[in-house]
Amino acid sequence: MDMQLADKSQSSSQPYSPAPSPEVESFSYDDSIVRMFVTATVVWGLVGTLAGLIVAVLLVMPELTDGRPWLSFARLRPLHTNAAIFAFAGNAIFAAIYYSTQRLCKARMWSDLLSRLHFWGWQLVIVLAAASLPFGITQGKEYAELEWPIDILIAVVWLFIFGGNFLMTLLNRRERHMYVALWFYIATIITVALLHVFNNLVVPVGWFKSYSVYAGVQDAFMQWWYGHNAVAFFLTTPFLGLMYYYLPKAAERPVFSYRLSIIHFWSLVFIYIWAGPHHLHYTSLPEWASTLGMLFSLMLWMPSWGGMINGLLTLRGAWHKVASDPVLKFFVVGITFYGMATFEGPMLSIKSVNALSHYTDWTIAHVHSGALGWNGFMAFGMLYWLLPRIYQTKMWSDRLVNLHFWIGTAGILLYIIPIYMAGLMQGMMWRGLDETGNLSNPIFVETIQEIQWLWWGRVIGGTLYVAGVVMLCANTLMTWMARPSKYEVPVHTAPRLTNDYQPSAEESTDTSQGKLADVPMLDLGKKIDIWARMGWHRRWERLPVKFTVLVTVAVVVATLFELVPTFLIRSNVPTIATVKPYTPLELYGRHIYVSEGCFNCHSQMVRPMVAEVLRYGEYSKAGEFIYDRPFQWGSRRIGPDLAREGGRQSSKWHWDHFEDPAGQVEGSVMPNYKHLLHDEIPYEEIVKHVQAAHVLGAEYSEEALTNTGDVAYRQAEQIVADIVSQGGPPDQMDKKVIALIAYVQRLGVDAFKTPEPETDPATEEPAAEGAETMEGAE
Amino acid sequence: MSETPKTDHAYDGIEEYDNPLPGWWKWLFVATIVICPFYWMYYQTGQRTVASQFEGAMAENSRLKFQEIGDLQPDEVTLATYLQKENWVKFGKSVFATHCTSCHGAKGEGKVGPNLTDEAFKHIRTLPDIAKVIEKGANNGAMPAWGHRLQMNEIVLVSVYVASLRGTNIEGGKPAEGQEIPAWPEPPSDAVTEDATEDSGEAEPAEGA
Repeated sequence: MDMQLADKSQSSSQPYSPAPSPEVESFSYDDSIVRMFVTATVVWGLVGTLAGLIVAVLLVMPELTDGRPWLSFARLRPLHTNAAIFAFAGNAIFAAIYYSTQRLCKARMWSDLLSRLHFWGWQLVIVLAAASLPFGITQGKEYAELEWPIDILIAVVWLFIFGGNFLMTLLNRRERHMYVALWFYIATIITVALLHVFNNLVVPVGWFKSYSVYAGVQDAFMQWWYGHNAVAFFLTTPFLGLMYYYLPKAAERPVFSYRLSIIHFWSLVFIYIWAGPHHLHYTSLPEWASTLGMLFSLMLWMPSWGGMINGLLTLRGAWHKVASDPVLKFFVVGITFYGMATFEGPMLSIKSVNALSHYTDWTIAHVHSGALGWNGFMAFGMLYWLLPRIYQTKMWSDRLVNLHFWIGTAGILLYIIPIYMAGLMQGMMWRGLDETGNLSNPIFVETIQEIQWLWWGRVIGGTLYVAGVVMLCANTLMTWMARPSKYEVPVHTAPRLTNDYQPSAEESTDTSQGKLADVPMLDLGKKIDIWARMGWHRRWERLPVKFTVLVTVAVVVATLFELVPTFLIRSNVPTIATVKPYTPLELYGRHIYVSEGCFNCHSQMVRPMVAEVLRYGEYSKAGEFIYDRPFQWGSRRIGPDLAREGGRQSSKWHWDHFEDPAGQVEGSVMPNYKHLLHDEIPYEEIVKHVQAAHVLGAEYSEEALTNTGDVAYRQAEQIVADIVSQGGPPDQMDKKVIALIAYVQRLGVDAFKTPEPETDPATEEPAAEGAETMEGAE
Repeated sequence: MSETPKTDHAYDGIEEYDNPLPGWWKWLFVATIVICPFYWMYYQTGQRTVASQFEGAMAENSRLKFQEIGDLQPDEVTLATYLQKENWVKFGKSVFATHCTSCHGAKGEGKVGPNLTDEAFKHIRTLPDIAKVIEKGANNGAMPAWGHRLQMNEIVLVSVYVASLRGTNIEGGKPAEGQEIPAWPEPPSDAVTEDATEDSGEAEPAEGA
């Protein structure tokens, strides 16, 4: 049945091929598309790492850009992550896949046109990202920041153009079995499409803004299902595929273990999907989900290391080559960092470790050992292997390659070691209690000042790493200059695959054929022996459609096991009667908060831990976030948590603080947001936001829906009145900062309201009394 | 090495050995799977959930802090008494550092909020007024209400610390706002004698003010 399915689709492209003796076909590979992707990889590699260096500098010199909004840390940091992941790593993956797939399939890519549409479509996505993120156009979810029109473009380019072209190439291959690299490519294409589509379901508000269909806890769950598996299926599986092709090629050694590659492939694909909730330990996510995420993360350790040992042990007998070949050096260091990062990952997913590490720079160090070490170095190794081959000349300078290796390695170490230290120090300082039971480091900004010198270490390490990328650029350019005037295009020949394939003995599941056939033992034992020799899998390897379906099933089933209960069990999100939708002005203020990228530095999640509750107030409850689209729990605290910020400072304080953060909080690394004191609220546009929230289930009065601008303006007048009474400037109702203050003052207060609506007696009374006292004194 | 069996696979020149799974790899993988149900049963039930562990830790923290003093009330006698107890003033200082410095300055010299180190006060004439303003806020939210963020003991002790700042007149502080008010009352005599040894020579400036 399965065979028929696959073979039918294969024969559909060549319907008249019943030839008993396979006819030999000639073909050539499309290497010009590889050259295009290689060029893009190198260029975006420079852009992505340079953007990283810029945001690293902004952290130590926050006023360098004097509050220019499009140059603020919080807007540029997503640009850096998107450029590094989707532009640099993305193009590297495509270069890897287009070169290796053709050779592993003994077939040219199915359609040269689709290949080029893929290339230009993807570059367009990147350019659109660069043209939208600095201007505050963002969905406010990490690594899924791009707004919905770009998301649609990504889905089309990825799944239909790239995925379609790839699958058709598989179906038209001339190599009977698919090599392990191809399995990893299949898993990449299927899963990334799935993650991308389901995490980005939104209700659009115009071209540049949308509201997630998920709210609060569920949005957080979906986001980290996506976020974690973006790491898995964008930064891990395609790079493992890359490793499985380019490492044995460069080392000219057989892969260590076929069986290990099968077991670690399937276990990796199946288990990774479950692990997302470990990004949400101690949050309002139900604990069963967080525990499940942790346990699957632990199980993920060996499947990950399966890839590492299959890589490193492939070099057995070739270590002398590593000493002389910089390509292998890059691969060895890259794989070693993969091993470190995939040990650290499960370790960080252990709740008690995570309690210390989460929200600190530890996470940043962890991802950079993965990104700079594993992704960067694997890509560099591949590029240096490819460059002389695709440009059909010698590498311009082997010495420069070596220098890149050493400066890059030094750069990684100089980056991650200080940042690991910074993370550890932050974690210890945040949780520290003195002998009286009070916080040892009560002033948050001091915990940042303590580690700032380590951030300078990152700037130095980052500079070295970028210098290495510059060397790569120079070497690529000079090698390209030395290319022949006309590339040779070798013509290959191979017999076409026929439908009358006779399975080899290897695929046999007949126990009488096994090597234990004549051994006197139970039939079950023989069956296990046969199963363990993976003949069943060998069969799958020649059925690409079945293989693709099985990967999809593995990923979808694992997803549904976690996702369905998260969405369906009501007790996961106990409602709180006093939690009400944001007012129109607050909703617009929240839009500003998301748009400015505040979540890049401020979490909104007080965890149930003593030190955290002492510092920020009562821990956050699931029911408090039911109107949060997207959720803004954040993943990092460069500034303090804001979940209970409402009512913690006066509105005037916020006004002053946005104008000059360091003036209010000495040593603050927050840039100023003066532009919010000048930019005006488009009151007539607020209605669109309210309508979207209303469509998604938030209750609003008739007036708020029809007369939105006026309702919002009245609240702005109240806030301005407060600010004036506290000594601030009058008549600032139309300034964006007022909406943002309205939102910030609402954060985390609903849970403490008494069920009686309208006014909050807790704040009304003392004000009146205070006034009395004051008058009395006069 | 030469004995390692190879599969007959070859893709673009890449061959594969038929090595078995490394034993340590296989058994560690099995171990990580086997451990899961036990972890689940241990931590997902009873007193070991995150929420119940937190409740326990929080209760322990409160015990550590307040076992000695019980539940304080924000009345004049209590405030005046604790104003003499240096270690409890220090406790209040810690609370102040956590929540109050962003508006009142690290030493109470005043920023957006008023200077607490001079002789002039807004909304406050007596010691209990301090606790009241902290608990319920003042001036239309300019001074936020801390009633649901802090325990009453913390409110009392931070009030005591604020009272102790009076008259320290930190240099460069914000100009005085509000009115000068009568000096804080003397502590009840028994409180003084009780703590005389402990606190002698360390009288807070507040006393003289």
